[in-house]
Amino acid sequence: MDFLRRYLASPPAVIGLVLLALVLAMAASADLLFPRDPLGLAGRPLQWPLANPRFWLGTDNMGRDIAAQVFHGARISLLIALVSTALAIVIGVVVGAVAGFYGGIVDDVLMRVTEAFQILPNFLLLLVLVAVFGSTLTTVTIAIGIVSWPASARLTRAEFLSLRNRDFVAACRGLGMGDARLIFAEILPNALPPVIVYAGVIMAVAILLESALAFLSLSDPNVPSWGNLIGAGRSVLRTQWYVSAIPGVAILVTVLAVSLVGQGLNDALNPRLRRR
Amino acid sequence: MNLSRRDLLRGASALGLAAAMPGIAGAADAPKPGGVLTVHLPTEQRILNPALRASTGVYVITSKIIEALVDLGPDGRPVGVLASEWEATPDGRNVTFKLREGVKWHDGKPFTAADVQFTAMELWKKQLNYGTQLQQHLEAVDTPDPQTAIFRYARPMPLNLLLRALCDLGYIVPRHLYEGTNVLENPANTAPIGTGPFRFVQYERGQFVIAEKNPNYWRQNLPYLDRIVWRFITDKSAATAAVETGQVQISPYNGLSLADLDRLKSDPRFDVSTRGTEANAFNNTLEFNTRRKELSDVRVRRAIAHAIDVDFFIENFLYGQGKPATGPIPSSSTAFYPGGEPPYRFDRKKAEALLDEAGYKRGAGGQRFSLRLVPINNGEDVPLLATFIQQSLGQIGIKVEIVQLDIAGALTTVYRDWNFDIATGWHQYRGDPAVSTTVWYRSGSPKGAPWTNQWGWQSDAVDRLIDDAAAELDPVRRKGLYADWVRAVNDELPVWMVTERQFYDVTSKTVQNDHNIPRWGSSDWRDTWLKS
Repeated sequence: MDFLRRYLASPPAVIGLVLLALVLAMAASADLLFPRDPLGLAGRPLQWPLANPRFWLGTDNMGRDIAAQVFHGARISLLIALVSTALAIVIGVVVGAVAGFYGGIVDDVLMRVTEAFQILPNFLLLLVLVAVFGSTLTTVTIAIGIVSWPASARLTRAEFLSLRNRDFVAACRGLGMGDARLIFAEILPNALPPVIVYAGVIMAVAILLESALAFLSLSDPNVPSWGNLIGAGRSVLRTQWYVSAIPGVAILVTVLAVSLVGQGLNDALNPRLRRR
Repeated sequence: MNLSRRDLLRGASALGLAAAMPGIAGAADAPKPGGVLTVHLPTEQRILNPALRASTGVYVITSKIIEALVDLGPDGRPVGVLASEWEATPDGRNVTFKLREGVKWHDGKPFTAADVQFTAMELWKKQLNYGTQLQQHLEAVDTPDPQTAIFRYARPMPLNLLLRALCDLGYIVPRHLYEGTNVLENPANTAPIGTGPFRFVQYERGQFVIAEKNPNYWRQNLPYLDRIVWRFITDKSAATAAVETGQVQISPYNGLSLADLDRLKSDPRFDVSTRGTEANAFNNTLEFNTRRKELSDVRVRRAIAHAIDVDFFIENFLYGQGKPATGPIPSSSTAFYPGGEPPYRFDRKKAEALLDEAGYKRGAGGQRFSLRLVPINNGEDVPLLATFIQQSLGQIGIKVEIVQLDIAGALTTVYRDWNFDIATGWHQYRGDPAVSTTVWYRSGSPKGAPWTNQWGWQSDAVDRLIDDAAAELDPVRRKGLYADWVRAVNDELPVWMVTERQFYDVTSKTVQNDHNIPRWGSSDWRDTWLKS
């Protein structure tokens, strides 16, 4: 309750929550409002928004309804964001926890692996993965997860390093607790808040990464994603700018919402900011 | 016959082409020498030797520096360049070229028949794409004197096929630079030496190529331009901006996006036109992998063609730039075009009936079967057509999954691994069906050769028509054989030519004497000049 009150006390956090709810509502209502295939030919290509009452956001250069693609695209973007973030967090937490808990040679090996991923610009690595494994929705999502985990691994490791020598850990050891239980049941819950906050950042970046891939025509063309729509609109940018601008606004709103919520969670969870 | 051609050629070279081009806007002005012409190129091939790589992207640059034996005249008939006259023996096995006298390479050495012999035997026959096919029966090139080259063929070679093909596949490079070297790695491949109106100056990878006026050009008082600069601009929006601000004067071969081409059409500063690209017709294609059970049935292939509204696609997706194709020979190829209507008119009911008849009824969810579509991204319209195919076939119960790959990956997947159900890309026609078109239908191409028949489809009748036509000396009978061939492949449909299109060039109106022959972008530009 206390946590909820602290969260709701911050106006940006509330705005973020409202925007996020809006995007979720779009995703949930897509089938209801636009039952037809969003990638199907809907009408004459490149009709301006509001020019035709059937297409209130217009049509793109392939004659597809932009509004339908934006609504259905919300699902794809959120799906990619959630799954790839979950993947990144799971990999990152396991690697970081094991490295931070055991230290020594285990830590050295795992951190060198993490650094190997970190020194590569993650978008370049993503391009390589997609080029090798193809660009279906599944591979793109997994690839985004794979390039996004190193930061959460380092964060978890740092938390574990500071927590592993605390008294409560020593007490648990004294009670004869095994390593696995110590890591996941005792230390991890205490290490998790900063990682959860960071998940918001990963999620926002995941949406942007997918859009960037689609912009380069390297994302899955068989699903209605916002990035695909921006990529398609690129060739008519000078004359029909709305084809790229509308999904661009959708991405902006979603990334902003996720970031604001993440920031709100950080403020609410951080004990040092409690009395401000 | 022979005399009149010689007279015509003499007339053309004496007057200079500027005078021989009446009716072009601004022809009243006297050509003004000087000036720098800047040209946009959307892609970079990293090779500047047209005797090794047959591609418009190479010709746009090198045709100003290196000359061919023949080129097309304003009326689309071959005229001599390095060859001044030619003659074939009645059996079609020997073709004699008389070469122009007094022509010098840019490094000062004389041009002789030995250069022709070497280029034909070592480059065209062994290395040049399409050239290896064209010259496969070339046995030897005899050079009785420095001004005569006699091509000896094992099988009859139709003179009109050879002349049309040599406009693209007949560029001559200097023997003294290539002999005894590995021709593929010769430095002259990126720093060319030719006989043309412009001399190579500099090639900066990813940036530009510069050529300057050749003061010793064999045609007196030509060229007019001081320099030509080709700039590589891969981003289409940036290229449009460069055109609109006057940084480049010409963007050839659909170098700008379809939307910008359409927009600039109404801009009085530019000429956006297909004039001068008539010899470079191309088609949007739909290739069927007939190893797939459903697609081995010709009724299914026809049903797919019937399900796609080509008129709608051209009008709305291509801004009206094209028309439905009537077969693999485009209507701009007057010497071979057999006429006729597009063979498969849009008719969704008929498509559904054909699929039902073939035994592929709609199943659960109204779906009949699904296909993997590989787009080969030659241009921005390819993904558009891929999407349109997906949308159209969805309507008749065929689910299409688009497999997105870069162009190299797509070529490998389709032509080497055969890992596709349907594919879509471009077919380019080069003056004569035997140059780069019949290979799309003839069986026996090595696995992996791009833009050849890799569809798992073979027809003895079609193979025979292709072989007979390639060796038929009588032009009328040859045209007849190709008409039969077009009918046969339209009927069997291993590949469907969806649209017939021409490239659009964007040209600043300051450029004069432009687009005055059917392959102007790939010609020597000796008479081009700039109005200030």
